[in-house]
Amino acid sequence: MEEKTMTADTPNRVSRRNFIKGVIASGAVVSSAGYLWRSSALFGQQPSAPGSVERLITLNVNGQDRRVDVLKQETLATTLRYKLGLTGTKLGCDRSECGACTVLVDDVPRYSCSVLTHTVRGKKIVTVEGLAAADGTLHPVQQGVIDEQGFQCAFCMSGFLMATVGYLKTNPNPTRAELAHGISGNLCRCQDYDKILTAMMRGAENLRKA
Amino acid sequence: MAEHKLVGQNYTTPDLVAKVTGKAKYAEDFRAEGMIFAKLLLSPLPHARVTRLDLSAALAVPGVKAILTADDLPAAADAVNDNGQLILANLDGEVALTNEPVYQGQPILAVAAVDEVTAADAIEKIQIEFQPLPFVVDPLESLRPGGPNARTKGNYWNIPAPAPAAQGGGGGRGQNPPRPEIRGLKFTDAEFAEAKDGRLPVMREAPEKWSYGDLDAGFKNAALVLDETFVTPDTSHQTLETRTVMAYWQNSKVYVYTGTQSTAQTVLGVSRWVGVDPANVVVISEYTGGGFGSKITGAISLVIPVLLSKKANAPVMMRVSREEEHYIGRGRPGVRGRMKVGFSKEGRITALDMFSVSDNGPFERQGDCGNTGVISSLMYQPLAMRFRGISVLTNTPPRGPQSQPGGMQAAALMEPVIAKAARKLGIDQVAIRRINAPVGKASFGPPAGPKAVRQYVTSAFVQEALEKGAALFKWDERKARSGKRNGSKVRGVGVAVSTYSAGSVGYDGLFVIKPDGRLYVQSGIGNHGTASVSDCHRVSAELVGVPWEKCEVTWGNTAKNLPWTCNSGGSQTIHAMTRAAHAAGMDATKKLREIAAKDLGGRPEDYEVANERVFRKGGGAGMSLAKAAQRAIDLGGAYDGHELPKDINKFTRASATALAGQGLMGVGKDNYPHDGQSRSFVAGFAEVEIDVETGKFHILDYLAVADVGTVIHPRAVGGQILGRSMLGIGHAIGQKWVYDQHYGVALAKRFHHNRPPTILDAPARMQWATVDLPDPETPVGARGIGEPPVGAGCCAVLNAISDALGDDVFRRAPVTLDMILTALEAGRPTTEPLTAHI
Amino acid sequence: MAVIHDVMPAFELFQPASISDALTLLNRHGSNAWVMAGGLDSFDWLKDRIKRPSVVIDLSQVQALRGIKEQNGGLEIGAATTLTEVARHLVVRDKFRLLMEAAELVASPQIRHQGTIGGNVSQDTRCWYYRSGWTCYRAGGNICYADTPTAINREHAILDADRCVAVNPSDTAPALVALDAQMVIRSARGERIVNAEDYFIGPAVDITRMTVLAPGELLTAIRIPSTWAGAQFYFEKVRDRNVWDFPLLNVASAIKYSGQTIERIHLVINAAAARPLRLHAVEAAVVGKPRNEQTADLAGRIAVQGAQPLRHNGYKIPLMRNVVKRAIRGGGGGTWTS
Repeated sequence: MEEKTMTADTPNRVSRRNFIKGVIASGAVVSSAGYLWRSSALFGQQPSAPGSVERLITLNVNGQDRRVDVLKQETLATTLRYKLGLTGTKLGCDRSECGACTVLVDDVPRYSCSVLTHTVRGKKIVTVEGLAAADGTLHPVQQGVIDEQGFQCAFCMSGFLMATVGYLKTNPNPTRAELAHGISGNLCRCQDYDKILTAMMRGAENLRKA
Repeated sequence: MAEHKLVGQNYTTPDLVAKVTGKAKYAEDFRAEGMIFAKLLLSPLPHARVTRLDLSAALAVPGVKAILTADDLPAAADAVNDNGQLILANLDGEVALTNEPVYQGQPILAVAAVDEVTAADAIEKIQIEFQPLPFVVDPLESLRPGGPNARTKGNYWNIPAPAPAAQGGGGGRGQNPPRPEIRGLKFTDAEFAEAKDGRLPVMREAPEKWSYGDLDAGFKNAALVLDETFVTPDTSHQTLETRTVMAYWQNSKVYVYTGTQSTAQTVLGVSRWVGVDPANVVVISEYTGGGFGSKITGAISLVIPVLLSKKANAPVMMRVSREEEHYIGRGRPGVRGRMKVGFSKEGRITALDMFSVSDNGPFERQGDCGNTGVISSLMYQPLAMRFRGISVLTNTPPRGPQSQPGGMQAAALMEPVIAKAARKLGIDQVAIRRINAPVGKASFGPPAGPKAVRQYVTSAFVQEALEKGAALFKWDERKARSGKRNGSKVRGVGVAVSTYSAGSVGYDGLFVIKPDGRLYVQSGIGNHGTASVSDCHRVSAELVGVPWEKCEVTWGNTAKNLPWTCNSGGSQTIHAMTRAAHAAGMDATKKLREIAAKDLGGRPEDYEVANERVFRKGGGAGMSLAKAAQRAIDLGGAYDGHELPKDINKFTRASATALAGQGLMGVGKDNYPHDGQSRSFVAGFAEVEIDVETGKFHILDYLAVADVGTVIHPRAVGGQILGRSMLGIGHAIGQKWVYDQHYGVALAKRFHHNRPPTILDAPARMQWATVDLPDPETPVGARGIGEPPVGAGCCAVLNAISDALGDDVFRRAPVTLDMILTALEAGRPTTEPLTAHI
Repeated sequence: MAVIHDVMPAFELFQPASISDALTLLNRHGSNAWVMAGGLDSFDWLKDRIKRPSVVIDLSQVQALRGIKEQNGGLEIGAATTLTEVARHLVVRDKFRLLMEAAELVASPQIRHQGTIGGNVSQDTRCWYYRSGWTCYRAGGNICYADTPTAINREHAILDADRCVAVNPSDTAPALVALDAQMVIRSARGERIVNAEDYFIGPAVDITRMTVLAPGELLTAIRIPSTWAGAQFYFEKVRDRNVWDFPLLNVASAIKYSGQTIERIHLVINAAAARPLRLHAVEAAVVGKPRNEQTADLAGRIAVQGAQPLRHNGYKIPLMRNVVKRAIRGGGGGTWTS
C-alpha cells in the first residue's frame, strides 16, 4: 500500500503513525489492490470529504476480524470476493434478484451484492466458507446436500445454503412448503428445486439431530 | 455387465464437497498476478454503423491499459469438424466485436483497465457516432411484403444443402457443406392476408421443406382436421453464472478460464475464434454455472479478454453482467407454427402439414425451425407429412441451442392441437398419445440420401412411459375431477409427450490403473451440473472391478491429458461417453487378462476381472490390480500406453502419450455398432388449479416418466428430468422476452422482467420415474435425458390449462394470467396472436 | 441511454447517526445528495449509472429511524424499520394484519430483511422505459414511451394517468392508506404530518415524483392510528411470479361491520395508477349495505368506472373489478389447494 494513499484517505484525526500501527496490530492486512474498484494508483480520485466514512474498517467475517480497505460504493459481495478472497459467495445478477450472493449478517440472510460494506461494520458476517467446523466437519445443512446429491451446477448453492441456515434459525422444524417460502429469495436456473428442497429438508433434519 | 455395482447406484460426485464448501472455482473465482479488468461498450441501437470512433480521451484515462475493437479481431476462419468436413468460414456470422451492430446490446469494443470503475469511466469518454440502419425485431414483420430486413443482405440464410437431418444424423459425412449466404424473402400479399385474422400465413415456397407420404389422402381420410396457429416464446438461457472469462498468455500459450459444457472440445472453439493453434490453447473449466446449450464450447465472447490480454500484456478478467448476459448469453428462438392436422376417428394422425417460422436472431441459422418438423414426425408418427419452414433473421440477441432446441417448440406447437383433437373426438388424452406414439425402431424426418430412406431410432418405449405415468399419476381419478369448479377455482389435468436426441458415438475413453491400485480416470466432459463428468466413468470402474472410493477423476483442465470427448450438447454425453468408458474398460480388462495369463499361465480368456483383482474364472490364482499395474509398466508397449490404438483421436493420443508408463492404461475408441439414432422420450403429467377471477394458476402436481435407457445415476437422472421439466414449465407459465418494436430494444433485461420460475412457481409436488428398459444398441444401455423433459413439462401444463378452461383461452405461450382473464371475459383468445416479444 | 451499466460510479458516503445529522447533510449537499435506506431501489439507479449523486447519505446507522412503538392504541413505525420487522411485530399481527400481509408479499425474504417500510412506500416507479434511462416526462423529457402505439405497457396504469402511465409498485402503500396512516416528514425547517393518502402523488401533481417528499426532506416515521385496529381486512396481491415480482394490481380493504352491514370501509387499489387510489365512490356505495355477492358485484362495477386501458393492459380492468369484489366479499384470494 502506498504511503501517499494512506495519508490521502486518512481522516485528519487519525495520525499516520496510529493508522499504520492499527494495520500492523490487526495482523492481516488485506491487499488494497482493489480489483473492481479504484486501485491504489488511482486512490486520489476517490472523493473523501470531512465527516464521511473512513475507508479502512474492521469486518467480522466467519468469526475473524479482518481489516480491510473499503471504497465508499463498495458492496459486501465485492469486498468478500475481491478483497478477502472469499469467492464462495457468487454474483449471479448483482441486482438483489437471484440470491447467489446471500450471506448472513447477524444471522439474517442478505443479498451481499446490494449491501454497502460500510453498513455492516460491527456486524457478524458469515459466508459459505464459514459454515463448516474448523476441523472440516461439514455443517449439517451442507451435509444434507451431500446426503441427497442436491443441486446441479451449484452456482446458486452457497446462496441457498446461507438462506437455509438463516431461515432455520427462525424456524428449525419447517414443513417442506414453509422451507420453500423461507428460501424463496434464491433462484436456481438448473431449476433443481425439488431436489434442493429435499436436500435442505435433510439438512434441517441433520441440524435438529446435531 | 450383468450385475451392476456402480451403474444405477447413487453416489456422491467427486465435486460436491468443493461445491458445498465454496471452494469450487468458477471462472470469476480465479485470480492472476497483475490481473486487469475489461468492460464492454454495447450498441444502444438495434442496427447501425459506427461512423466515428475516437478513443483518445479514453486511452488518456490513467489506468486504462488497452482498447480492443472489431479491427483487432482475426478474420473468420475455415474449420475442419469432427467428421473431417471442411466448414467454410461464414463471413456474415457472429463476431465478438463489431462496427456494424445488428442487435441492441451487441459489443462494439472493450476497454481493459486496472479496475472496472476506471474501465467504465473510460468508456463514457469514448466518442462514438452511429448511422442508424433499418431493423426489425419481429420475424413476421420482416416477412411481410415490403417488410424490413435485419441484415443489409436480407432476412434468411440460403443453405444449399441436402434435406435437413436431425442432429447426429448419418448422411453427409465427408461432404463439405457449401458456404451459407444471406438472402431476402417475403410473403406475397395474398399469402400474408391471413395474418390479420391472427393466423400464421403460410409461405408456399419456404427455404426449408420436405415431405413424405400422401398428404392429400391423409386429409381426405381424416375424421377431423384441425388448422391451428401457435406461438412459442423466445427465452434466455440465463445460466446463473454469466459467461465471465479470465485469460492470459504465457510462452505463446493462451490460458482461458471459462465456463463451458464441453471441456475438451472448447479447445477447438478457442483455437478457431482466436486464430491460434489448438496445441497452444489451455482451457480451464473446473466448474460451470449452468449451460443449457448456451456454453456448448464456451462462448465466442471469450476472445475479448483473450485478445485484450495479449494487447495489454496482462491477465484480463471480463466479468459479464446480468444485463450483458441478456444480449450475448444466447436465447431460444421463438417459433410460430401453422399446423394443419388430420385425425382418424380413433385419433391417429393421418396427415400433418406444418409451417414454422422461427426468430433466428441476427446470426448463424439455428436448427430449431427444422427440428420442429423432424421432432413432430418422430413424436406423433403422422402417416403423411409436409414440413415447410423459415428461420428469419431479426435484430435481436443471438440465438443458440437451448435444452431440446426445436424439440421443445415442436411439442408446444403440436401438443395443444393433439389435446384439442382428443376433446373433439372424445378420446382420452393418454390414449390419443398412445395411438400416435413411436414404437420400436420408429422412422422419423424426411427421406434422405440417394435411396430416399428415412432415419429411425434405436428404440422407443413411449407407450410404456404413458402407461406407467397414467398409473402413477392416478390419471383416471384426477381426470374425473377436472373441470369442476370450487369457488373461483377450477382444476385441469394434462399429459404431453416429448422426444429428442440422446446420444452420439465414436469418442475415446482413457484411464490408468496405477501400482497404488487406484484408477485414475481422465475426463474431457464439462462439469456443468449434469454429473456426467463423473457418472460416465463409473462404467470403466465397474468393468475393471475398482470400487469408486479408489477412483480419481481428473477433469476441467485441458493441460491435464484429457481424451477426445463429445460436446455436451443435445444430451449426447451419457450415451457417447459411457460407450467410450466401456471401450477403455474393455481394453484394460483385456490387458489385465493377458498379464495374468503371462504371469500365472493359461489363456487370457481363462481369467476374469473383479473386486480389484484379475483371477482365474471360478476363483483360482490371480493378482491384484496394483500388481498388474506394476507389471504393465514392466511390460511396456500397449500395456502402459507406450503403444496406442490406431483409431483414437489425436487429442487422445497426445494425452495418452503423456500418461504412458504410469501404470496399466485403458484406452479405446467407441467402435460399438449402432444402427438407429438414439432418442429419449418423456411423458409428462400435470394438474393445475386456476383462479378464474384473476387468471392466476398454480401447478399442484407434476410427474415425468422417462424412456432413458439404463439409469446410470438415479439422483442425477431425477435432477435432469425434473430440472429440465421446470425449464419447460417456465415457457408455459411466464418466461419471455419483451421488445419495443418501434425502437427495437429490449425492455425485459432483468430476472423479474423475464420471469424465470422461482421455487414457489414450481409444482407443489414433483415426481419422476423411468421405464427402466435399456437402449438395445449401446453396451451399457444408457441414453441422455437433458432434452425431452422440457417439452413434456411445458405442454403437460399447457394442456392442463386448456383441460380446465377449454380450447379458447390461449394460442401462444407463456400463458399468463392476463391472457386467461381476458379470454374468459371475451370467450375467445384476445391476446395479440402473432406479435413477437410482447 | 447509458451505454454501460453495472458499475457504480464513485460517490462520497456519509453515515449520520441521528436524524438531525442526516438533515444537516441533506441540507448541505442539496441535489447532489442521495438518501439511501435499504438501498434496494437506490442500487439500480446507481449501478445503471443513471443517477449520479456525488454524495450518498446512508441512514443505516440512525437508530431513531428504526423500531415500532405503541402509541395511543396505534403504532409509530420508524421509517427505516425493515419489512420483516414490520411483518413480525406482534401488534401489527394482532391489530393491523392488513399491513403484515402486505409486507410479507413484498419481493423476497432477503429484500424484506433489508428493505425498509419507508423505502417501500417511497420507491420510484418500475416503468421499464423510465428505469432504462429514457428521457421521458418523468425523467424531465416530453414523451411517454410507454404510451405509444408500439409500447409494451402490460404493467402500466389504467386510471389517473396524465401523460405518464407509470404505476406505483408498493405493496405496503395501499395497506397504509387503508389504515389511515400518517407520514411523519422532517426537514431542516421542521416536521410535517401528511396523511398517507396525500403522501402519494400522481403525474398531474408532479410528473417527476411519486410522493410529496421534497428535496431536503426525510420520511422519518409512519403512524398508524387505532381507527382500524381489529377491523376485517383483505389484502391481495396479483403478480406473475410468486416471489420477487411487483404487483400487477393489489388491493387492500379494511371494513368495520355493524351486524352484517358494512358500517365503515376503506378500500385501496395500487399498481392501477401512479399512486395508490382510495376508491371513495365504491366506499360510499357499499356503506350501509350487507356484505354479500351483490354488494361485491356493485363494488367491482363501480371500481373500474373510468378505467382507460392501454394496448396491453386491458386485463387490469376485469382484474381490478374482481379483486375489489373479493375485497368486499372476502376469501378466494391467496389460498390454494396444496
